Amino acid sequence: MLDSLVNLVWLVPLASFLAAALTWACGRWLGRMVWIPCLAASAFGALWSLLVLIRVASSAPAAVLVDVFSWLQVGELDVTVRLLVDPLSSLMLFMVTFVGSLIVLFSVWYMAEERGYARFFAEVALFLGAMSSLVLVANVLLLYVFWELVGLCSYLLIGFYFTRPSAAAAAKKAFVVNRVGDFGFAIGLLLLWTLTGTLHYDQLLGGDSPAINSLTPPWITLIGLLLFCGAVGKSAQFPLHVWLPDAMEGPTPVSALIHAATMVTAGVYMVARFFPLYQASALATGTVLAIGAFTAFLAAAIAVTQTDLKRILAYSTISQLAYMFMGLGTGQIVGAVAAIFHVFTHAFFKALLFLGSGSVMHATHGELNIWKMGGLRRFLPVTHWTFLCGALALAGIPLFSGFWSKDAILAAVWEAEHGGLLVRVALILGLVTAFLTAFYTARAYFLVFWGEPRDEEVAEQVRHYAEDGHPGEGQQHGPAEPLTMQVPLIALAAGAVLLGLILALGTGGLVPFLGHSFGYAEAGEHGHHPLLLVVLSSLLALAGFAAAYPMYATASELPARLAALFRPLYVASSQKFWIDEIWLYIAVRPMLAVAAACRVLDTLVVDGLVNLVASIPAVLARVFLRPMHSGALQFYAIGMLLGLAVIVILVVLRAS
Amino acid sequence: MTLTQVLDIVRTDIAQSLVLFSPELALVVTILLILFVRLFQREGTYLARHLALLGTVISLGLAAYLFNRTSLSAETPEIFGGMLVVDGFTHFFRMLLAAFGVFMVWLCAITAVPSARDASDFFPLLLGATLGMMLMTSSIHLLMIFMAVEMASLPSYGLAGFLKEDRRAGEASLKYVVFGAGASGIMLYGMSLLAGRFGTAHLPTLARELAGAVQSTGGFVLDPIVVAGVLLILVGIGFKIAAVPFHFWCPDVFQGASAEVAGFLSVASKAAALALLARFSLTLAYPLFAADSTAITGALGLTLGLLAAVTATYGNLAAYAQTNLKRLLAFSTIAHAGYMMMPIAAAIGAQSESLYRPAVDAVLFYLAVYLFMNLGAFGVVALIRNAIGSEDLRDYVGLIHRNAPLTVAMAVFMLSLTGIPPLAGFVAKFRIFAVLYDTGFLWLLVIGLINTVFSLFYYVKVLRVMIVDQPEVERPGWQLAPLAMAFNAVLVLANLAPLAPGVWPALQAVTQSAVSWLHLPY
Repeated sequence: MLDSLVNLVWLVPLASFLAAALTWACGRWLGRMVWIPCLAASAFGALWSLLVLIRVASSAPAAVLVDVFSWLQVGELDVTVRLLVDPLSSLMLFMVTFVGSLIVLFSVWYMAEERGYARFFAEVALFLGAMSSLVLVANVLLLYVFWELVGLCSYLLIGFYFTRPSAAAAAKKAFVVNRVGDFGFAIGLLLLWTLTGTLHYDQLLGGDSPAINSLTPPWITLIGLLLFCGAVGKSAQFPLHVWLPDAMEGPTPVSALIHAATMVTAGVYMVARFFPLYQASALATGTVLAIGAFTAFLAAAIAVTQTDLKRILAYSTISQLAYMFMGLGTGQIVGAVAAIFHVFTHAFFKALLFLGSGSVMHATHGELNIWKMGGLRRFLPVTHWTFLCGALALAGIPLFSGFWSKDAILAAVWEAEHGGLLVRVALILGLVTAFLTAFYTARAYFLVFWGEPRDEEVAEQVRHYAEDGHPGEGQQHGPAEPLTMQVPLIALAAGAVLLGLILALGTGGLVPFLGHSFGYAEAGEHGHHPLLLVVLSSLLALAGFAAAYPMYATASELPARLAALFRPLYVASSQKFWIDEIWLYIAVRPMLAVAAACRVLDTLVVDGLVNLVASIPAVLARVFLRPMHSGALQFYAIGMLLGLAVIVILVVLRAS
Repeated sequence: MTLTQVLDIVRTDIAQSLVLFSPELALVVTILLILFVRLFQREGTYLARHLALLGTVISLGLAAYLFNRTSLSAETPEIFGGMLVVDGFTHFFRMLLAAFGVFMVWLCAITAVPSARDASDFFPLLLGATLGMMLMTSSIHLLMIFMAVEMASLPSYGLAGFLKEDRRAGEASLKYVVFGAGASGIMLYGMSLLAGRFGTAHLPTLARELAGAVQSTGGFVLDPIVVAGVLLILVGIGFKIAAVPFHFWCPDVFQGASAEVAGFLSVASKAAALALLARFSLTLAYPLFAADSTAITGALGLTLGLLAAVTATYGNLAAYAQTNLKRLLAFSTIAHAGYMMMPIAAAIGAQSESLYRPAVDAVLFYLAVYLFMNLGAFGVVALIRNAIGSEDLRDYVGLIHRNAPLTVAMAVFMLSLTGIPPLAGFVAKFRIFAVLYDTGFLWLLVIGLINTVFSLFYYVKVLRVMIVDQPEVERPGWQLAPLAMAFNAVLVLANLAPLAPGVWPALQAVTQSAVSWLHLPY
């Protein structure tokens, strides 16, 4: 009974795919109830995956392979759809479906006024199916397939408001930037197949002699780095992080689901999945650590001066994802476990923050500039309190969930044995980032919810909204904060507050659980938190939060004066260190020039050739064949006899 | 064997023979029922159609049941004293033809051709032809082959001229008859030569005698009687396949006949003829491998290869200039027959036993796919004819605005016929080319590839007219009936099957098991 629970785990993605198909096919017929299949499928998935998670956590063996069916077998290529249920995938699956179902529930209210209600739920259901498949499959090729499928869903949903040019451009940017990373991923995948002859996890990582052990170190490093390219794109790390802030053009639940909680963590998941491979190469792990530390700092430094609420959250996502890569970059099991721990807590509090900002957006009628807001806590009490929970968790205030997981990562970096200078620099960057994170989080929080309204128009809008509910075009104006949006917010807030405490202390930490993920070596001693580090990072977080209070909680001259004082730094940060512009000049413009040249070549040479080839049958047909089909029976008979004669002559000549 | 010996054999295994013959018997009973019911039936009812549907479904069910119960033909697959053979190959084609029959009745129900009045004339002809085609795939006796070909042909002549009020239909039917009679005569002459030379008409025995004769003369000595006999029989089969240069009837007949009948002839008749070609040539060639006298098989393979290459190229080139859709598709089916002859030629010419089965496997797979893409195309033509009353490409301008689902379906069928991935047509064609590669018939492979490129132009031309070209005057659109929608949906999905997990391996398993159990004389 319990084992069939695990063996039927494919029902979870299947339910979502079916929901997507149903929504797509019957969207018109379901009308405003079109959210039902999507919500039902995700709730079912959450329940099922919770049971699977409990089952995996409570028994050995920790990893189970489930063969679903054989898709195709051509020569040596054997694409059997095989799933892997182990601590890592079961935790990820639960996270995706549980957070996903809460966000879907929120969307029922949030998207109610939108055109394309059905399209939204169809695409979200498709995404949930693809994402849960991505974490479950036990084959690199299928991982790649679903990797691209979630990318497609991301593209579709960023461009949800496709009539808006900025949304269409953002969708295109996300797609193209991800191609850059995926190119590396694809090469890594092909190398892996060429060198080991298999793409199944169980043959690559498991068993007595995993296939990756047969690789020589340079190949391991190369494959590790190439796969990491894909992770850099998908998880928005420097230098490919530029697509994520623009992706905020999509509807806010999409930002919460895809661009904060789940899809962007696919890169982290992938590196964690191939952690044994990374462990075998110091260069690969070092690169992961370096990129992680640098991106964490860079994104936090940019977030400090941004004025758009969702973009601040986007940069904080990039920064937090970078923390996760820092954990993986330590090359130790405790680091990897800490990274997944952070993936898990981050999903809750970041989804919460995005949903909260969605509620704010409804109130301000789409206005996102935090300098135009203020005093919203009076109008949106539930949003305010839950947002505060999320903000405290993100800031890393002690006892909130973000604190535990972030601290676990920093502890792993602190204790990393190898690396010397790199590790020390990474640790310092990590600590500085912790301070900056607390600061910009508090800044956004105070500006939005505290003080007095700064913009008359927006204030009027919010007041109106608090009284009448939706300002949209629909006829029925509900209350400002109905139950369907309160439930997900409160559930996520509970997670943001309690999860860290429960997971870090309640069951003796996650290392004994996640440390037994598929292919992982036996973890040595469990990570213990160095007291000095705990104190230091707590103080930094508190200091960051406290520093923001006098500057932003009340009307103050301080921010303006500080900006003037550090003018070059301020401009650099608010201009995002001109990375977009650098990309424009070193990549986009040259590419456009090449494309223009290709187009000329295409129209002149390629099209010319095609037209030439096309004209051959046309000419032959008109000149030779058409006259033969005159319709005269006599001619046909002669043709037949002549043909027979030719064949006889050929055979006789050939045989004699 | 004397007559009494044969009769003894027939008497002893009659019970088992009848069981194995039951799919054909189901069709026979259906035909008789339809004819019988007609005597008492009032006009304007659809009883004939329902009976035809029931009969084909039962026949399909029986064929599938027998396919799964291989033990029923444990001893020898030959039944009725060596007239027919029921092996995996036969089972496969019986299922294919019966399934096709089901689809045909469905299509006829949608397009209302024939009318309710004519149905009780039309369906016996259709089922009779199907019966003949089933026999074509299982005959291993020269006389039986001749009877089967006639049994398939005679109702087809009637079907071709079924649109009685259309002058073209009458002309088509007459041409078909004259041509068919000529081809039959030639084939019968070839048969008499072979049977006279070896004293038997039982094909496996004949093949063994031939191999023995070749062996005893210490290699291949050109025997004019054998060469003429084989080639003349091939002419008869080539006529049914519509291989160039025996294809002249095909475009005229397709153009004159209704699209439904053209679809029937293009799929069922062609499938049966290819089965006959494969059975006849492989049975004849197989003992020669054992006798290690490959000169004769080399010549036979080369002849078939050349025939295939010319057929494919001619079909594709000629299709280019056509504006009548049925005529265009007629040439397209000629080209596809060429593709399907290629692996048979390669298997015989490659002179290696191990490549026999993969080659036949590729043909069976292609035919299964071909059923769905070609019937789909003809079905769309019929549905469009019903709506706009034309089968001319020039009237197809802007159809995307008038009926988008039908246009999309047509696009799928056309691209699948071209062999564009990931559609089923691509997979099927790929497997044929893979056989050509494995057997070392690289020149044939190159011709096949060039042909694929050529074919792209005229298939896409149809789509361009339907989708891209702008009509001069706006014409009203129309809705498809639910049954027609379902018909197209099923066929489109079948063409998208390679994308669906599990379907491809399943079909592969069927063709493989059909081939692994191919009856060949040792």
